Parts: sequence; C-alpha cells; structure tokens
Amino acid sequence: MRREFADRDDLIAYLRAEFPNAAATDDNVAETRGGRAAAEARLRQIEPQRYGKSRNFLTGAVTKLSPYLRYGVLSLAEVRDLVVGATREIESIAKLVQELAWRDYWQRLYAQMGDGIWKDQEPYKTGFQARQYANDLPDDIRDGTTGMVCIDSFSNDMRTHGWLHNHARMWLAAYLVHWRRVRWQAGAHWFLQHLLDGDPASNNLSWQWVASTFSHKPYFFNRENLEKYTDGVYCRQCPLYGHCDLEGSYEAIEADLFPNAQQRNTTERVPRRARRAN
Amino acid sequence: MANTIVWVHGDCLDPHGPALAAHPGAPAIWVWDDALLAEWRLSLKRIVFIYESLLELPVVIRRGDVATQLRRFADEQGATTIATAQSPSPRFAALSRELRHTHTVEVLPVAPFLAYQGTIDLKRFSRYWATAERYVFDKTAQS
Ligand SMILES: Cc1cc2nc3c(=O)[nH]c(=O)nc-3n(C[C@H](O)[C@H](O)[C@H](O)COP(=O)(O)OP(=O)(O)OC[C@H]3O[C@@H](n4cnc5c(N)ncnc54)[C@H](O)[C@@H]3O)c2cc1C
Repeated sequence: MRREFADRDDLIAYLRAEFPNAAATDDNVAETRGGRAAAEARLRQIEPQRYGKSRNFLTGAVTKLSPYLRYGVLSLAEVRDLVVGATREIESIAKLVQELAWRDYWQRLYAQMGDGIWKDQEPYKTGFQARQYANDLPDDIRDGTTGMVCIDSFSNDMRTHGWLHNHARMWLAAYLVHWRRVRWQAGAHWFLQHLLDGDPASNNLSWQWVASTFSHKPYFFNRENLEKYTDGVYCRQCPLYGHCDLEGSYEAIEADLFPNAQQRNTTERVPRRARRAN
Repeated sequence: MANTIVWVHGDCLDPHGPALAAHPGAPAIWVWDDALLAEWRLSLKRIVFIYESLLELPVVIRRGDVATQLRRFADEQGATTIATAQSPSPRFAALSRELRHTHTVEVLPVAPFLAYQGTIDLKRFSRYWATAERYVFDKTAQS
C-alpha cells in the first residue's frame, strides 16, 4: 500500500477509498495524530502531579496517552521511567503510576484469558441473570439521541474524537448496562469500533468491572456525581434536569435498578457509595 | 537477501521496539488483517491513527490474510526467520503457531512494566497491586 502522501487530507482520502467499510461504520477522523513524534509531543505535556488531584474531573490533567500506549508506540515502562525518574516525591506521582498499572494488570489477564475476555468472568451481582440483558446496542445510544445531554454528548464525542475521559466511559457503560439493561458485550464492541485506544483487555475488562461480572458489585452513579465531575456542563443545558433517570440518592437508585439484588448490610453500603473511578 | 524479516503488529508500533531494534535494516512488514477489520467493523479514525503510526516505521504495508502475506514477504526476501514483538493477543498466538510450521518465529519481549519475574495473583487489581507496588517505583530497576 502507499507510503507517500502530500498531506493528511491526501492520506485520509486514500484510506477512505481503500477501506470503504470502515468509512461506512463511521467516517470521522480524530484530530489526534498517530506516530511516535506525536506520542513524544504528548508525553512532554503530561502533568503527573496535577494528575493525581484532578484526574476524576472531565477537565482534569489526564494524559491522553492511551492511543499511543495501546499500540505500543510508547511502552508503559518508558512512561513509568519518565514519571518516576522526574521526582523524589513518589507520593506525588503515585496515582499516575497506579493507573498505568491498571493497563499492565488487564494485559496480564488477557494473556491468561484469551478470547475468554468476551465471556462473563463471574455472574452479575445485580440480581439479574445474564439472559435478562438485551443483546443489542439501542439506536438512541449509538446515535446520541436519548435526549439526555450527558449521554448523547459522550456518544457523539466518542464517535467524533475516538477518545473519552475515563469517568465518561464509566457513566456511559453504567447507563447502558444498568439503566437500559443491555449486555456489556454490546457496549464493549461499540467502544472498540471507535476508541483510538480500543483494546480488548482494558476495554472488555473495564466493562465487566462496571457490569459486575468482574467485580464484587455493579458500578453506578447519580446525577449529583456526574454534575460534580463535569462542572455541570451537561446538566445545565439538559431539558431533563431535575427529573432525569439519574436523579436520586445512591440508595434510591440502587433499590430502583437492582430490586432483586441481595440485601446488603449498611457497612457494605458505605464503600459502594464512595466507589472510586478506577 | 535477508535471513530475517520483522513482522510489525498492532501491539508494538514503536520505531525503537524490540524486533526493529534487534534487526536494524531488516525488511519489515505490516499486514492489515482483512478478516479482523470485517469482524470488528473498526471505524475510519482507528485506521487513520494506525496508518499514521506506520508511516513513521520502515515497513512495507500490505493487506489480506496475515499468515499468507507474511510468508509471501519472507519468501520474497529469502528469509527463514520472522522476528516480532511479544503480544498478549490470542490472535497473535494463533498466527505465531501457524507460522512456526514453515518459519522460525522469534518473539522478543517488550520492556516490562514490572521488574518482577514471580507469579502475581490477578484475582483482583488490589491483589496485583499489593505485589506490583513493591517493584514499580524502584528506580534501580529501570530499564
Ligand atoms: C468502560 C470502559 C472502557 C475502557 N476502554 C479502554 C480501552 O479500550 N483502552 C484503554 O486503553 N483504556 C480503556 N479504559 C480505561 C481508561 O478509561 C482509559 O485508559 C483512559 O481514560 C485513557 O485516557 P488517558 O490516556 O488520558 O488516561 P490517564 O488517566 O492519563 O492514564 C494514563 C494511562 O494509564 C492507562 N490507564 C488509565 N486508567 C486505566 C484503566 N482504568 N484501565 C486501563 N488502563 C488505564 C492508560 O493506558 C492511560 O493512557 C476503559 C475504561 C472504561 C470504564
């Protein structure tokens, strides 16, 4: 195949013609550039200290290194070396190193599981059986037409940019699996079509973590949580504000979403409420 | 005529990756896996990102059935060895197995995130981290 192109547009036009099915799936091209030079430029911009304090916020200092790590344009080891080597205060960069470790962890599991990564690793802890979940991705989520500004924005952003903040991925995944009761595999497949960092290990196992087929309990959230970590950018413009499906306390939402789940004692509720973004 | 070709795949698009580094100047190839593209229905943006990464590597870019294309390229170059970087993907494992019927396959490790060779409990991240934490911040273990 060709290697010489006048510019990026020339390359894109060539790829559209060579891979018409990919263009038919979705014709967007992300602004994120591939290649080692772009990866190194991104690496020079990371802020490991600020990362630890802000990573759960959509405007936080996340690195956006994921597409480069996924394709091994950069190795986890070199990013780790750079981050650890640049400070004496390990505490201040520990959070970023731990997130890199999540990737290593999922990769190790993938090496063990192989294609089993598509199978539920454990039963759902939601009070529902796997067969009670729908198989297909609902059109309104895929097309970003649910009417919920947050969910529609996440869907559109993923299709346009090929990247979503971790918290947005968690919310979108939880909404699909728990509110719409769709099998996580449908969402995982959809993410892999679009995410530049799409990788069966990190993706499928994160979906399983949200779904509870690879964790002790389902991940869910409420409007307050989303509003806090997004600085309200979606809620402020949402016509459903005050009466959307995400309203209510964690207890109320839990009772609503998982009416058949085993009653948990109150000590278990506390960590659940505070469940961190992984 | 080269004895070795380098197979570049989607888990290592680093120009300093282990296979390219071990065989500087060896003919190198990337193959678009048409079956995989059809199965996963990847969108265009993912293909553009990979292609841009490939353009910075000294590779010939082809498409089709991966094993067939790799064998053909090795034959064209008169190579008996196919060198490549390690990958956890089951498709990679299957392809390597298949190629071993006709060629020597040299799988080179990428720099490890953890300088630790022992077994690690992977049941939950917390258990993995309990071990990983002890090695991951060790500056003396840097690669
Ligand atoms: C439902 C769902 C699907 C996901 N799918 C993918 C995927 O296909 N590919 C992927 O790389 N990540 C995936 N993640 C993990 C995480 O969301 C992304 O790695 C992260 O958002 C990428 O942005 P960043 O590079 O700015 O991350 P940062 O927060 O800056 O982290 C730095 C790097 O650490 C790694 N990392 C951070 N968090 C995680 C995590 N939870 N799991 C694994 N690696 C992590 C990534 O390589 C990332 O580039 C998924 C998470 C969820 C909840």
